[in-house]
Amino acid sequence: MLRKFALVVGAAVIAAGCSSYSRTDKAQTQISFGSSVARRGLWREAAFRFERAVQQEPNNARAHNNLAVALEAEGEFSRALAEYKRALELDPGDSYIRRNYARFAEFYTSYTRTTGKATGGP
Amino acid sequence: MAPNFSSGVKRVAALVLLAVLAALPASAGVTQVKLKLPLKPRLPLRGNEKVALAPFVIATEAEKARDKRLQNVDLQAEFQRFLKKQIEKKTKLEIVELPTDLKLPTQNLSELGRSTEFWRALGTQTGAEILVSGSLEFRVEDRSGYKTEEYVSPIDGRTYYRQVYVEQTGFLFDIVFLVFDGRSGEKILQDEFKDFRQTGGRRADELQGLFENLFSLENQILNLFVARDREAERYIFTD
Repeated sequence: MLRKFALVVGAAVIAAGCSSYSRTDKAQTQISFGSSVARRGLWREAAFRFERAVQQEPNNARAHNNLAVALEAEGEFSRALAEYKRALELDPGDSYIRRNYARFAEFYTSYTRTTGKATGGP
Repeated sequence: MAPNFSSGVKRVAALVLLAVLAALPASAGVTQVKLKLPLKPRLPLRGNEKVALAPFVIATEAEKARDKRLQNVDLQAEFQRFLKKQIEKKTKLEIVELPTDLKLPTQNLSELGRSTEFWRALGTQTGAEILVSGSLEFRVEDRSGYKTEEYVSPIDGRTYYRQVYVEQTGFLFDIVFLVFDGRSGEKILQDEFKDFRQTGGRRADELQGLFENLFSLENQILNLFVARDREAERYIFTD
């Protein structure tokens, strides 16, 4: 009985390991890694990861939101605006994306009003 | 009785646990992060230019006679001192002293912006590459008065409206910056910053109010000359 149980647990652990390995190319993995480096303030690396996530899943609102935040941190404000808009298009009901967008819009409006142009643009 | 009580507690605990588990998916996978938004300087400078701080037009000069509280504040001197100190401390720009008896050609802000000859001559005379001027407005705004307030009667529970006297004083600071090229005398930037600070009562100190206004505008003023950053908070998804 104990042997059977050990076998089942072992198989489960291996299966979990395999599934996480197979996910390395998935957007979710990029988001997870990107968010962990973002929390340490490594925004360039985070932006790279979120960009990959967006490429892999262009309709993933969370990936677009995270990319927008990373672009803001890098001073790429006009690109951040485009990403926030895309995230909201994809998931208009998400309260976190809406709050982010509202805060960004407030900042960006005053920034462009005072500078007279959208910096960080192409 | 005891078993009943115990099963009741268990049921409540189970409900609480269910509620917590139900709430988890909504908040799991999201974290709040702090950012420092990099703000590029608004003037296209190398960073080590020679800068001259010319006098500013004082928009509230005429009000001094009417408002005694403004008589205690030498707005021109206080602002010049503040600006000079900030530029020296937080930028690599070099401040060039101007003649103490320097007078502006006009007290009209629009005309001042068009006085190309004056600014070019001043730039040539002092060697300043950048000249800063503009206008300052500082007012003590008394907004005390009766205001309508809603209240629920503890006797009949109905909502009534009553007039209450609210004492409110605030300080309004409005600054317009004009920045000129010392070589051509041309205006290269015009910008306006405003701040209103509400204080506790009529006896609020004017100078303290002025500096509260100035400190709240400090980042924006310095951002004219150097890159600054602004703190912000955003949410990112973690999965």
